[in-house]
Amino acid sequence: MLLITCPWCGPRNETEYHYGGQAHVPHPENPGELTDEQWAAYVFYRDNPKGPFAERWMHSIGCRRWFNVLRDTATHEVLTSYRLDEPRPGGNR
Amino acid sequence: MQSHPLQALVSELHEPVHPTVVMSNHVHVYVSQAHKGELVMGAGVDSYNGYGQRGSFHVIERQMAAAIELFPVFARAHVLRTWGGIVDVTPDASPIIGRTPVENLYVNCGWGTGGFKATPAAGWTFAHTIATGEPHPLNAPFALERFTTGALIDEHGAAAVAH
Amino acid sequence: MRAAAVTGARGVTLTERPFLTMVNVRVDPASETAGRIEKTLGARLPRECGHTTASGPHTAVWLGPDEWLVISRADGTAVTAELREALGTDPGSVVDVSANRTTLELRGPSARQVLEKGCPLDLHPRAFGPGRAVSTTVGPVGVLLRQIDDAPAYHLLPRSSFADHLGRWLIDAMSEFRSAEVS
Repeated sequence: MLLITCPWCGPRNETEYHYGGQAHVPHPENPGELTDEQWAAYVFYRDNPKGPFAERWMHSIGCRRWFNVLRDTATHEVLTSYRLDEPRPGGNR
Repeated sequence: MQSHPLQALVSELHEPVHPTVVMSNHVHVYVSQAHKGELVMGAGVDSYNGYGQRGSFHVIERQMAAAIELFPVFARAHVLRTWGGIVDVTPDASPIIGRTPVENLYVNCGWGTGGFKATPAAGWTFAHTIATGEPHPLNAPFALERFTTGALIDEHGAAAVAH
Repeated sequence: MRAAAVTGARGVTLTERPFLTMVNVRVDPASETAGRIEKTLGARLPRECGHTTASGPHTAVWLGPDEWLVISRADGTAVTAELREALGTDPGSVVDVSANRTTLELRGPSARQVLEKGCPLDLHPRAFGPGRAVSTTVGPVGVLLRQIDDAPAYHLLPRSSFADHLGRWLIDAMSEFRSAEVS
């Protein structure tokens, strides 16, 4: 059971949250001009690191807000959580 | 491709009561009884990415609740052990079998929670692909290019339990 | 089900308190609009998770950083109309959601122990008490959980269609407190 800290509600059990996959995937600025390969990269291709991973979670049972979590995928340790308008702590890898 | 924890469990030994494998995508569990008498059950993946070879307890709890919903007689069975492994899941939860952009590099991967029953067909068509350089008609739709063309495979339910 | 009770020294009762007025309010807490809504309500909108404020028949419960639930004994149509007038045409929303949830009251010396069988939060008085309210789960059901007094008594607000299941879950959880504690 992960113990995840919601930026608004504090630490809650994993069962209160919904997982949203990799964070910081920007929507293309000019989607109409992308090739199929570029669009596929945006839609389907995600990082899958073993170690710290910035990912989106939503506090679906609580305040229903999306936020980001930095979590180690090897140890399952939740390193930190932060709001969507805050940068990834420690920079981008 | 995303790596997720997948968990399963066995109970202690019981008299034979359950002669076949039953899977339910409705309550989300599969359960069979091994020859010695253990009940073997599993369910879907943990939602998050993980390489820890273990998942969260509430997933086990949920699959036991589902099994008891299906078979109330299992309510008195005790869990003997649980374990978790890593499964690699593609965006459409179907495997990738075919060529890659690199010459002479072929892939047969991304099986997620599925695979055991499909092994003969996967081996046959993968061998065909390597021998002829062209995919067999059966594995042509499973090419890596489907994530560019958008012709995904709508078979989330094809695995033991959909994920 | 209207009510259920377990009597004795470790007693606990479960009662439905149906048809309370509930109005969902969404507004930027830093805006002047929020100030107008607070004036209409007669209470400040709480700014922190778990907090509530009260004024006359109204209680405002924090749901999110820009979202509140006003629970009231006053008429739903009137409360909604007043709050909507305070909102005016500014960004935000005021919606009568009285039919969304019902209210189950769990009361008695064992009420906290009953909840602790299926609620992941720390409900000990050091962490939770009268005037606190949080969204969480009890058993498998999502609820807004609010402590009313020190009896202790709690209000559980499940979505209406989950209320029957939650009621049965609570009655099952209550049954052991019928007898004396086995030491």
